[in-house]
Amino acid sequence: MSEGPLTASAIISFSTNLEARSAGFYRELAVCFPQHEDAFAGWAEDCEKSSMQVTRTYQETITDALEAGFSFSGLSLAAYEVDVDLPPGIDLDRALGKAVALEEGAIAFYQDVAERSALLLATIPRAFRRVARTRRRRLEKLGALR
Amino acid sequence: MAILEEPFVGVLELQNYVDGEWVDSEGERRDVVNPATMKTIARVPISTQDEFDAAVEAAQAVYPEWRRTPPLARVRCLFRLKELMEEHFEELSRVQTMEHGKTIDESRGETRRGIEMVEVATGIPTLMMGYNLEDIASGIDEYLIRQPLGVFGIIGPFNFPFMVPLWFAPFAVATGNCVVVKPSSEDPISQVKIVELAEEAGIPEGVWNVVNGGRDVVSAMLDHRDIKGVCFVGSTPVGRDVVYERCGATGKRVICQCGAKNYAVVMPDADIERTVASCMTSFFGNTGQRCLANANLLVVGEGLDAASLDAFYKDVVDAFVEASSRITIGYGLDEAVQMGPLRDRAKVERVLSYIQKGIDEGATLRLDGRQFELVNDLPRDCFLGPTVFEDVTPEMAIAREEIFGPVACMMVAGSLDEAIDMIHGSPFGNAASIFTDSGRWAREFQYRVECGNIGVNIGIAAPMAFFPFSGMKDSFFGDLHGQGQEAVRFFTESKVVIQRWF
Repeated sequence: MSEGPLTASAIISFSTNLEARSAGFYRELAVCFPQHEDAFAGWAEDCEKSSMQVTRTYQETITDALEAGFSFSGLSLAAYEVDVDLPPGIDLDRALGKAVALEEGAIAFYQDVAERSALLLATIPRAFRRVARTRRRRLEKLGALR
Repeated sequence: MAILEEPFVGVLELQNYVDGEWVDSEGERRDVVNPATMKTIARVPISTQDEFDAAVEAAQAVYPEWRRTPPLARVRCLFRLKELMEEHFEELSRVQTMEHGKTIDESRGETRRGIEMVEVATGIPTLMMGYNLEDIASGIDEYLIRQPLGVFGIIGPFNFPFMVPLWFAPFAVATGNCVVVKPSSEDPISQVKIVELAEEAGIPEGVWNVVNGGRDVVSAMLDHRDIKGVCFVGSTPVGRDVVYERCGATGKRVICQCGAKNYAVVMPDADIERTVASCMTSFFGNTGQRCLANANLLVVGEGLDAASLDAFYKDVVDAFVEASSRITIGYGLDEAVQMGPLRDRAKVERVLSYIQKGIDEGATLRLDGRQFELVNDLPRDCFLGPTVFEDVTPEMAIAREEIFGPVACMMVAGSLDEAIDMIHGSPFGNAASIFTDSGRWAREFQYRVECGNIGVNIGIAAPMAFFPFSGMKDSFFGDLHGQGQEAVRFFTESKVVIQRWF
């Protein structure tokens, strides 16, 4: 079920939080599975970069979002929430399964907000699409780690 | 939904910033109250005339040296200021929400617009250039140079406490002048924060001063012989009858950007969904406390018969009322909130009196902003919901006077000509918008309407930093406007040199 119209601030906070949780998750994976440390640690850094890029885009274009009005409607943020807790002793296969679920949820989120912000300044949907693309590539790489 | 953390706790004891020093005032102190929580968040000094004079003296003393500082060196300070503003973007924005009440999205928008002024002012080495012509006569060349004038005063309004002084100060400073800013005593914190950053950016002592206060400071500014010009944004009675008049009497340059009563004209071919979305922020953004806010929605039946106009009007107004009724109201730091409180209780009383006036004048109250739900557990003192009136006619006070709150008046005109006549019936001329798919109607509108800022399918016709913030009739008093090239001309004197070498 969708929530009422969501403010731009709420969308950006969700994105910031999602990237922070993703970064933490991959950092934990890097410690638990040292054979893939480089990949996981690199993805954690990518998440931080994505967060910075989305926030910067938002701060630079918020006036455009305001002019266009309440554009983020028909979304339920709860639908994109993914459990990223790693139980002690989790094996690689299950951990990668969680990573796949995380990426799929995040891709859906960024695609949906990009679609809903299509009428705004082009830099706004572009920023969301860029993160979705980064995460799609990561999803492909996750398959190769299994 | 998250409620963002307040950037400071407790009560700030604000000071003046004069000649590079933070100084206490001998004047009384007034509470600055967060209108959402009704908690005192700061105490602001109401400075004396002597304290203002000391700031002007400091600015005047440093002016010759600042003027001689190369423009490139001057704007390097502004580049650093811009970087510091970016670094403190979130803090600056949250401060505005706390001191004014606007939503966090609105505050961030205001921060961005303020930074854009600094960005444009960093182009002064180019913007300030004069021009020349060789051989205007035999062996004689002529050229024009732009020179700064000295010390300028800036009087900030309460509705955009961060951004509005930045319409002027960066341009003044970049062109080699010095400034004394008097922030609104209702919400002065963000100006104090800016000057903290200006200090860190290396802007020399005495160039950018802040003196908090009220009427005494304004009065001292208007009469001071070393103040070369004044920039004012506020109400029409104060702008026209006090600031403009006294600046004229004392020979000062002046920019007075004043009140408004703006129309949004909706033509029969308008995209209703997008028009209404744009109108929501235009009518109710900043809780209606904005001189570019549209206040009268004028549905036009150009080319329609009476029945079709009725149906079109109903579609537009129903969509407008429906969207208005869904606006969430509460503390601006709550990310779910789309409209915050008015700045203070007196402003609420003023809006309430207009709602009553509308009822008494015979308008139909379609959406009553006196009944509203708050999303947070807060004192209701400064809050109101969106109000929508129907059956409003141009003679009614609610259609003519600036309410400065979340009140929308629905009106009808049979043709575009009639709509333009109604707009021209207003003494104000700040902004007007037209929503249409027709280039012909849009051109006719922009050509004929006597308003300084025109929106075509734009609800808030806010000029960017590199264009002047225009205004006409009772919305503007002066010659040159703030922002962009006009600000550069306002803050400089043109000098012509005619040169021959024997």
